[in-house]
Amino acid sequence: MVVEIRKRAVLPVAGMTCASCVAHVEEALNDVRGVKNVVVNLATGKAAVEYEPSLATLADMKKAVDEIGYEVVLATANLQVTGMTCASCVENVQKTVASLPGVAKVVVNLASESARVSYLPEITSISEIKKAVQEIGYGAVERVEGQEALDREKEARQREIRRQLINMIIAWSIGSLVMIGTFQPYWFLPNIVPEWMNNKVFLFLLTTPIVFGPGRQFFVNSWNGLKHGLTDMNLLYATGIGAAYLIAIINTFWPDAGFGGREATFYEAAALLTAFIILGRYLEAVTRGRTSEAIRRLMKLQPKLARVLRDGQELEIPAEEVMVDDILAVRPGEAIPVDGLVTEGYSSVDQSMITGESIPVEKKASDEVIGGTFNKTGAFKFRATRVGKDTALAQIIKLVEDAQTTKAPIQKLADQVAGHFILGVHALALGVFLFWFFVGYANWFSPESRLILTPYLLTGMGVFGFALLTSVTVLIISCPCAVGLATPSAVMAGSGKGAEHGILFKGADAMEATAKLQAIIFDKTGTLTKGEPTVTDVVASGGLSQEEILRLAAAAEWHSEHPLGEAIVRGAQERGLYLEDVDSFNAIPGHGVEVRLNGQSILLGNRKLMAERDVPLDGLLPQAERLEQEGKTVMFLAMAGKPGGIVAVADTLKETSAQAVKELHHMGLKVAMITGDNRRTAEAIAQQVGIDRVLSEVLPEDKANEVRKLQGEGLKVAMVGDGINDAPALAQADVGIAIGSGTDIAKETGHVILIKDDLMDVVAAIQVARQTLRLIKQNLGWAFGYNTLSIPIGAGLLYPFFAQMVSPELAALLMAISSLSVTMNTLRMRGYVPPIRRRRLQEAMA
Amino acid sequence: MKSSIISAAIYLGISLTAALIFLGVTLMGNYTWVARIGGSLWIFLLSNIVLMPVVIPWVKKRGEI
Repeated sequence: MVVEIRKRAVLPVAGMTCASCVAHVEEALNDVRGVKNVVVNLATGKAAVEYEPSLATLADMKKAVDEIGYEVVLATANLQVTGMTCASCVENVQKTVASLPGVAKVVVNLASESARVSYLPEITSISEIKKAVQEIGYGAVERVEGQEALDREKEARQREIRRQLINMIIAWSIGSLVMIGTFQPYWFLPNIVPEWMNNKVFLFLLTTPIVFGPGRQFFVNSWNGLKHGLTDMNLLYATGIGAAYLIAIINTFWPDAGFGGREATFYEAAALLTAFIILGRYLEAVTRGRTSEAIRRLMKLQPKLARVLRDGQELEIPAEEVMVDDILAVRPGEAIPVDGLVTEGYSSVDQSMITGESIPVEKKASDEVIGGTFNKTGAFKFRATRVGKDTALAQIIKLVEDAQTTKAPIQKLADQVAGHFILGVHALALGVFLFWFFVGYANWFSPESRLILTPYLLTGMGVFGFALLTSVTVLIISCPCAVGLATPSAVMAGSGKGAEHGILFKGADAMEATAKLQAIIFDKTGTLTKGEPTVTDVVASGGLSQEEILRLAAAAEWHSEHPLGEAIVRGAQERGLYLEDVDSFNAIPGHGVEVRLNGQSILLGNRKLMAERDVPLDGLLPQAERLEQEGKTVMFLAMAGKPGGIVAVADTLKETSAQAVKELHHMGLKVAMITGDNRRTAEAIAQQVGIDRVLSEVLPEDKANEVRKLQGEGLKVAMVGDGINDAPALAQADVGIAIGSGTDIAKETGHVILIKDDLMDVVAAIQVARQTLRLIKQNLGWAFGYNTLSIPIGAGLLYPFFAQMVSPELAALLMAISSLSVTMNTLRMRGYVPPIRRRRLQEAMA
Repeated sequence: MKSSIISAAIYLGISLTAALIFLGVTLMGNYTWVARIGGSLWIFLLSNIVLMPVVIPWVKKRGEI
């Protein structure tokens, strides 16, 4: 009889508003295989579910609900996971946490030593998650944010560096003696090293504290993993060190056992293997910290003190105690503690650390200042608008931190390979042992052969000793540490580098997608152009004067928030025209406005609007066409169904638009422009900027469709636009780039956020992403290349031809070099400046 | 029965069988006893390491059904 073990979970579901929502959610959950009984409560917003854990997971249920437009709201925990050294550790932690019943998703990042867990606290508590991680041999604490996180992370890293340094000193100092003692009979050593140092019992006494001191961590950690059915790098090390040490003991105390006798004790193999592995760990701990330098620099920008004016007095208080609407004073040479608006004074502020802008920005009353930036010359006062976690700097840090805990699609493959690697390596070691035991030794073993870079002859080595040595070397040489570090370390460096230049990637996937872009669509107004159009021409007809036309148009647009409407109102005000309030106002998106003024109907808008309302434009069309060919936007005015005139408005291009488009073309990207303007106006603008593909007369709600059409051509498309107004198109694009977000980063919907309103940053973002992807590919190429080459050599492929074997300690050295080279390659990103930025800097200096 | 005991019985059983097969094969050749016993132990150890991560989750999963 099969007994079904059912579990019960209560899922908080957001977005349900009516009974049909309840039915939808119930249906979606019931469709999940393994879900047996669903009761959804609209009032509490919860779904009670009975399910079979072997068939249905929380992730399945969440997916089912999310797919139909609702959301299972889960708690998110950010854990700092210590003790992970390779991709298998990542896989182990991920597997362990994901197997907990209340966990829907977990992303573990080796480079940032973090785990982000989406879970249901009612089923699994955070302490249970931490306990599960600790049980398999890793440390787990909840991550904290800001300066405290920086301090804690720094402390943990220094503790790890100190621990490995002590281990390294012990292993290397004693290991060197073991090596000198082992090689005492060779080269010139008999002249300077006493013979007793080669005594095997003496070497045994020296090696034992290395294996059970610094080497103990590998045995303990691998056992902790094995108990839960998990294998990691520690197991490779433990088997390797343990086997070498065991052979040495047998050869010392039972020299005739057939392992090569006293001349092949391999104490130095066990000792130096431990020493090299620990050297690798130490160097990794030191260099890994450097890949997250950019975020550290950002965190350090957070000022500690602020001068607040309270009751007419200037008080110095901790920056975190500043409240919104506090008035703060900033003196020359001081850092600005929080975000705010200047109330009095004048100064220039260095904002390069946030926006990447190299030239200081002038600040006067009502200008915005950003917390963490540096006041250069004058003194000023400002009113705090955003404090604590809401400041731009805090939001940037959070965004970059979040991005660093995500995984790029390219990493998933690497993780999958590395996850099964350890098992595969042990199986391979088994195969290699059997091959050399039954086939290889009899056919190719030569007593004159030796280990590479050692004076050892393998004369006395028996079949078991030789097969075991080869098998152990395979275990050691195959470490996938480099594979595990390849992607996350590059993503950390890349996202940090982006942040340095005011380019924020929301995740590793956004970075990878940006690097692979083939086409870019720019929104016209406010993106390619300044978004501040001005009235350039007024054409009157039907007996009205130009002033009258402009006055009526401005009155019609008085309540409009459209940039073109605002331009007309501004134009009328500048000419000193009196504007009357309208009786009624109706905005027709993508077409124009319809108002009633003094009982009369007035229409102001494009051709479409006039055509829909049957307004004859014949007399105005030649002039309209001329204006449109000049790149101006034409708006027709009609009164009581009769044409009244034309108001032409033109928006000026941003200084860098044409150059940015040229650069993008140069980088091999297709560039398009999307606008609500008619074809002629749009083409005129596009021609000025150098854009060859124009998507004109597109209504705001259709922008996403246009993006989809381009994607349908098989192109990876980015949409560059205003983060708020163009949200659907930004979301539809493979990469949504929100430009000119300024300091309100949290509101943005794009995948990439550009703090400055500079199109050259689009170019810089692609350059940073491409450089990061290049680094990832180099790292992965090196890591996989190393393993592809080293494993056959370690397995003795070259032995039949050259009679040379790789020793276990040489294998450990090669392995340490491979992961170190990946980290060093990533560190090259520290000095990277996007070429476009470097060129502009050089131009500015010249 | 607890899944950990079932798992242990499976992976230890298979590893032991593999080690015994190895021993049996070596008995047919001209090997020293150290090579035979040492080899069998190494086969037993590596087989355990390969089998444990495969068997333990498999047994656990079946136990939940």
